[in-house]
Amino acid sequence: MDLGNVASLSLFYPEIVLAGTILVLTILDLVVANKRAMAYLGLAGCLVALGATVDLYGTEPTLLFHRMVALDNFSLFFKVVTLAALVGAIWMSIGSGEVRQVHLGEYYIVLLTCGFGMFFMASANNLLMAYLGLELVSLTSYILTGMLPHNRRSAEAALKYLIYGGVASGTMIYGMSWVFGMAGSLDYATINAAMAEGGGNQIALFMAFVFILAGFGYKMAFAPFHMWSPDVYQGAPTPFTGFLSVASNAAGVAILIRFFYPAVSTLGQEGAWAFQALPALQWTDLLVALSIITMTWGNLSALNQRNVKRLLAYSGIAHAGYIMMGLVVLNNDGLNAMLFYVVVYLIMNLGAFLVVMIVANATGREDMDAYRGLAWRGAAFPAVCMMVFLASLTGLPPMAGFIGKLLLVAAIIEGQFYVLAVVAMINTVVSLYYYWRIVKTMFLDEPAPEDGPVAATASAMPLLGALMVLTIVLGVYWAPLLDYTTGSLGFFMP
Amino acid sequence: MELILFYVFAVTVVGGGIGVVASRNPVASLMFMVVSLASVAGIYVLLEAHFLAAIQVMVYAGAIMVLFLFVIMLLNLGHDYRDDLVRGLYAVCAFVVSGAICGILATRFGGAETSALYESFPGAAAMDLELAERGAVSLIARPLFQEYVVPFEITGILLLVAVVGAVALAKKRV
Repeated sequence: MDLGNVASLSLFYPEIVLAGTILVLTILDLVVANKRAMAYLGLAGCLVALGATVDLYGTEPTLLFHRMVALDNFSLFFKVVTLAALVGAIWMSIGSGEVRQVHLGEYYIVLLTCGFGMFFMASANNLLMAYLGLELVSLTSYILTGMLPHNRRSAEAALKYLIYGGVASGTMIYGMSWVFGMAGSLDYATINAAMAEGGGNQIALFMAFVFILAGFGYKMAFAPFHMWSPDVYQGAPTPFTGFLSVASNAAGVAILIRFFYPAVSTLGQEGAWAFQALPALQWTDLLVALSIITMTWGNLSALNQRNVKRLLAYSGIAHAGYIMMGLVVLNNDGLNAMLFYVVVYLIMNLGAFLVVMIVANATGREDMDAYRGLAWRGAAFPAVCMMVFLASLTGLPPMAGFIGKLLLVAAIIEGQFYVLAVVAMINTVVSLYYYWRIVKTMFLDEPAPEDGPVAATASAMPLLGALMVLTIVLGVYWAPLLDYTTGSLGFFMP
Repeated sequence: MELILFYVFAVTVVGGGIGVVASRNPVASLMFMVVSLASVAGIYVLLEAHFLAAIQVMVYAGAIMVLFLFVIMLLNLGHDYRDDLVRGLYAVCAFVVSGAICGILATRFGGAETSALYESFPGAAAMDLELAERGAVSLIARPLFQEYVVPFEITGILLLVAVVGAVALAKKRV
């Protein structure tokens, strides 16, 4: 189905709710003195939008607004992921001491707009829409990163992010202009038809795809476009870092899959995709190389980090490499594993940042020494939760991360990418070292006399408990989530 | 005549671009950019896209350049930039890569292939017809507020949040 502007509105209500919340917050910010109410209103808006998105799930795939926006299970899945991350981030922000220093009204407005942009990254069916969605997310991310007042690190991170982001999106839009030149249209379906006719030169197309991949890759933080990530993770307010690490990654995965699969490939028998745009060039080899470089670079750089937020940034780069593995096999099993991993990563990484926030609230520090003997300083529950999240990030059974990694590795072994599988295994072992160094510091190291007791932030406890329970439950009983991701692979095919 | 004019404008576009990169003073760079953008407007006139040419001059050569100038003056970037430039192997690599891209563009898009592309471009004939019937403004306005109305509105939200964010970043007292 292909709907016009007015007819589309009836299938567009999650976005309308979210945009309405943003506008209401913008106006209320001028009159309401109690900025805390803004957080609760934003949370309510996200929950309503979440309900609306879940309600729409399973609708017949439709193109809205003259083929600009695709409504299918795939986009709805990523909208649910984005909203879940938003809810988590707002909840974290309510209890965060760091966020209390910023302009709260503007903080929530910009945070919600960031999520709003991710909606369009997931559902764009047109290169213009994809670019606008990505730019909406980028701009809001720069603002939120630099929001901490009188903080040099935050300002520096925002500037670095802005410069890297500007270069990446400039490169991407240049590549898009090549695709437009060769296909004569920005619409994914028309591009697909032009590719099927063999339109466009192979080398020029390859370059254009590499340029576009640079823009998407910068959102996912995979090498060599990852340079911004450690500084930004360290400089940004922790709740936003948590949101950025999971949601920006998910949105990058969404826009990448949407462009490289339904737009320029065709779905063949039994869920195998043919990358028809470049029959003559070994596109998958490039993706394999990128994936290997990303995970190895991320893990090796994480080994020597003393700051836990920086360490989690490098771990995020490594995880971007793991998620990339699902792309190379060019079939639905790989994509399914990617979606599964995105959800699992959302839960465990948000949880890890929540613990970082709790420790930072109590001690004002983010380095490893602040975690010395954490379990014996009155924060036993956060310490145990952190252990669960780190075990899951490593990929140890019976945590959800193990199942996620298992699905990814199973998909690439089935696709006979043995080298990639071996590298992934070795990387898992490497990551064990730095993740468990934190666990060792928390449990086995004696607290020094100057380390005071750590008061756990009360408002964050329910969220922390829920994330921990989910991490364990999904590691034992993952079938419902797997069914959900399998059902979410319904694309609007041009 | 038209061909001569095209080459004049083309040379000024490229020359202006080189001037932007080569000049040491940011304000001088900016002036070269104005030259380059105004020459693009000239090429638009040669293509009989008068409306686009006017918009190009007003928006790019006018408004956006003034914004750039404001930013440069506010940031006081008067100093010499020679020390910031990357030299050596990086510069060689940059030249090789951009030369290769330039070569691909020239061989693949230049000459015969372009006109074939123009012939196959689906909307070309229809666009000419509509241009004659309704004029350029309507030709731009109708898609903008019909097919592209959602991107248009999203841009509105983008600008709104950019302003909100800029204010939040600029006022430091909470």
